[in-house]
Amino acid sequence: MNNPTSATTLSPWLQGMRDAMPLLGGYIPVAISFGLIATQANFSVWEATAISALIYAGASQFLMVAMLASGASTWLVVVMTLLINARHVVYAPNLTPLLPPGRRWIVLMHGLTDQVFALAHNRLPQIPMATRQGWYSGAALLAWASWVLGTTLGAVAGASLTQQWPLLGEVMPFALPALFLVLIAPRFTSPLWFIVLGITIGTALLLAVLQFTNAAIPVAAAAGALAYYALMALNQKAGAQHGH
Amino acid sequence: MDTNRWLVILLCAVGTFLIRALPLVWTRRHLARQAKGTTNTLPTWLGLLGPLMIAAMFGVSLVPVRQDWVGITATLAGCATTLISWYRSRTLGKPVFMGVVVFGLVTFGLTHLH
Repeated sequence: MNNPTSATTLSPWLQGMRDAMPLLGGYIPVAISFGLIATQANFSVWEATAISALIYAGASQFLMVAMLASGASTWLVVVMTLLINARHVVYAPNLTPLLPPGRRWIVLMHGLTDQVFALAHNRLPQIPMATRQGWYSGAALLAWASWVLGTTLGAVAGASLTQQWPLLGEVMPFALPALFLVLIAPRFTSPLWFIVLGITIGTALLLAVLQFTNAAIPVAAAAGALAYYALMALNQKAGAQHGH
Repeated sequence: MDTNRWLVILLCAVGTFLIRALPLVWTRRHLARQAKGTTNTLPTWLGLLGPLMIAAMFGVSLVPVRQDWVGITATLAGCATTLISWYRSRTLGKPVFMGVVVFGLVTFGLTHLH
């Protein structure tokens, strides 16, 4: 993929924010839904906003609110929430070789959601090393702010918003698959990657349709990795036989 | 104020932050140790997981909010538009915008036709 913003004279922060704009289409409607659901479960506006600001992990927030509202024990809620977020453990190691040195990166990891990781993994290699922290800060801050403000909006006025514009909540979330498609499209570079990515996408879609949404991402990625190694082994075996 | 509720929020916040930040510290140490040797690389499987996680997120996000023939048709039309627009422009923002517009138009059109 080429560099869509290198020709501009935007500061790294603004460039990061511009690249993260497509995330808003997915974040804001879901954040509004979360704010609405949290207040319906008797959480205050402040509590709902604090959950989004401090935990900042979509699926686990919905589960946490539902479990707390149903009276589940403290430790069960904490363990389940952290289990859902455990997939984030592989994101930072994938970005580390792309990041310049600096202690601030540790704090900036708070903004490393699924979508910010996907965007950063794709864009950072195209950005000069000196401006990467600014780019990441701008992108992550915009995404975080939209999630937090969307939650507050949903907690305050979510019911009337969804009644007034019901179609908006259906249309805007398509920004996320569209963004992921653009990020993954340049990876279809060989028959091997076509098969591996096809298996990964198909597995994730199937699991999500079957309502195993939380397990879908790690399980599908593992299925894709297995397919990759199986195909590589087959390739080597065929190469060795051809050599004889 | 419900103290137990705030305790859960804080524990989940700290735990989630550590899940995101600690691997950065570990990987930096790993790379620093390797830099003293001959190579400066991560295990192959770890590098492989990056694009695979993004592909998996794409698969999960493909399930539309509206799971009927309108939602499926709009998703297919939106994806096709995004892909064509990306192939022609090789940019980030325009294909996403075009995809959302077509997804919205198809959803709106089919909903009102029906």
